Amino acid sequence: MKLLTYFSLILLTALVCSCHSGDKKTVPVVGFVDAFEDASIAPARTGFVDALKKNGFSEDQKNIKIEYSNAQGSIPTLTQIVNQFVSEKVDLMATCTTLSSITAAQKTKAIPIFMMVSPVVKLMKLEGADGKAPANLFGAVEDLNYIDTSFSNIPKFLKPKAGKLVIGMIYNQSEPQSVDAKNRIQSLADKMNITLIALPLNSSADAQLVTQALLNKNIDAFFANPDNTVFSAFETILKSCNQKNVPIFTSEAGLVQRGAVAAFGADIYQWGYQAGEQAAQFLKTHSTGGLQPEMVKVRTRVYNPAAAKKYNITVPSNFEAVK
Amino acid sequence: MDFYLTALLQGLCYSGLALGIYISMKIFNIPDITTDGSYTLGAVVTAILLTHHQSIYITLPIVAIAGATAGALTGLIHAKLKIHALLAGILVMTALYSVYLALMGRSNLPLINVSTLFNLINISADPNHNTFWILLIFVIIITLFIGYLLKTDFGLAMRATGNSETMIRSLGVNTDRMKIIGLALANALTAISGYLISQQQGYADVSMGIGVVIIGLGSVIIAETFINWLRLTSIWLSLLFVLGGAIIFQFVLAFTLDIGVNPIYLKAVTAVFVLLIVSLPRINFRTVK
Repeated sequence: MKLLTYFSLILLTALVCSCHSGDKKTVPVVGFVDAFEDASIAPARTGFVDALKKNGFSEDQKNIKIEYSNAQGSIPTLTQIVNQFVSEKVDLMATCTTLSSITAAQKTKAIPIFMMVSPVVKLMKLEGADGKAPANLFGAVEDLNYIDTSFSNIPKFLKPKAGKLVIGMIYNQSEPQSVDAKNRIQSLADKMNITLIALPLNSSADAQLVTQALLNKNIDAFFANPDNTVFSAFETILKSCNQKNVPIFTSEAGLVQRGAVAAFGADIYQWGYQAGEQAAQFLKTHSTGGLQPEMVKVRTRVYNPAAAKKYNITVPSNFEAVK
Repeated sequence: MDFYLTALLQGLCYSGLALGIYISMKIFNIPDITTDGSYTLGAVVTAILLTHHQSIYITLPIVAIAGATAGALTGLIHAKLKIHALLAGILVMTALYSVYLALMGRSNLPLINVSTLFNLINISADPNHNTFWILLIFVIIITLFIGYLLKTDFGLAMRATGNSETMIRSLGVNTDRMKIIGLALANALTAISGYLISQQQGYADVSMGIGVVIIGLGSVIIAETFINWLRLTSIWLSLLFVLGGAIIFQFVLAFTLDIGVNPIYLKAVTAVFVLLIVSLPRINFRTVK
């Protein structure tokens, strides 16, 4: 019989605690879904919150409630987080990184979803049979065009050691955008007469091994394709590349801060900020009229002065030093 | 309470996984790591077949066969090549990663505009309630099948293989074959979990199986705690507790999310709750004496 008491206890506690979510909502609630912990991704959330604040919605003024949840890299947890926000009927959801956006888009067709650090809907394969994106998807997204610029900048900085420029890169097979980016860069390299050596890296634990394998192939530069494994193992990659005197180029400003030479690409903070501005417009007008997923507007050209000095690289004047 | 209903649905989806782990634990007394792979394999096969507009009736047996193949492979490596079962599982799981990438051709496949198991029949107007009833019927059928199987002579021989291999071999049972069949069965069940989850969450992803064995083990250990505490010998009740374990495990996570724990402590708090559930009977046990 004791068992029954336990079960009833657990259920009772759950009941009592779940009641608080049934409170009458007086202020709009934002459900912010993060898929994993990462220093390079974190500024997106800051940007999103700042944009809301600038538009007069802040938790200090008690006129909005931002509920933040992080799945810590676990898909079952991610699904439950999204379910929780859906059943709480939050006014809008903010999703950071691809997997959060996909999970939310598959779980609700009614609550507006403001995406950030996510690719365009087509790359996520979320288009219906009519080729249209789900009607409740908004926010700031990115396609692969910017990668062309990032990659084609490399010959401006570097001269090949011998004949052809050889560039190494690693990509994560478990991330759609990483594989798409790799294919895109491959076709670009073929056009630009660059030899590209791409190796898959599926867990940050193998970073050192895979990076060493690339460095042994006598590469002139390393292209850090910004994905989760590169973000989490960047210091390992940097250390190995520095030992072999191979400069790193990338398409994400945060990685330049951490030691890559230069990048042209989305600024993660601005990316979140842009999604936040859309969310603020929705909160003001209570309608999603005129909103749709937008391309990331702010792309920056940044360089790391210390890294540029180390490799004697002259940086074009339209690049600014990273703060 | 809608949120707890969705947690219950997720728990029911994981019941196949919990039953699978229960069987492999009963046969080897060690966790079968193939689980991480066969679970994702089930989800991947489901996503591919459903997006190619195959019916869910055809999909289910194919998913089960795919999972069973993975399990049988682990069993073969373990039984015939005499490699430790843990390593055999790790090897198969690792190799499967390439299999799903090759099958899907990408890492994430959303299920868009496909008819799933959960909109097959409309028992209730509310989609969550509908999912619940369909899942419940599905899980009951699977549990009845497994319960019946474990009660047959074959099932007895399988359970005895785990308890005392030497004795059962002396009775003329081919224990190698038992292990292979047992693992195939366990992983077929796990793949069915992947089949359910992929339709529940709306996509298959290559990284969805990472650490899923923990969910299965957690469920089985919660169940075992109660089974030992209540000194249960009935297979039916044991299976029921295993299903309960899977649901409790998801409830704990839901509860942790619901009380609004700082995301940094999410995992630690979840672990503490499970520890509490598992240790409560033991604490009581001493005081009752």
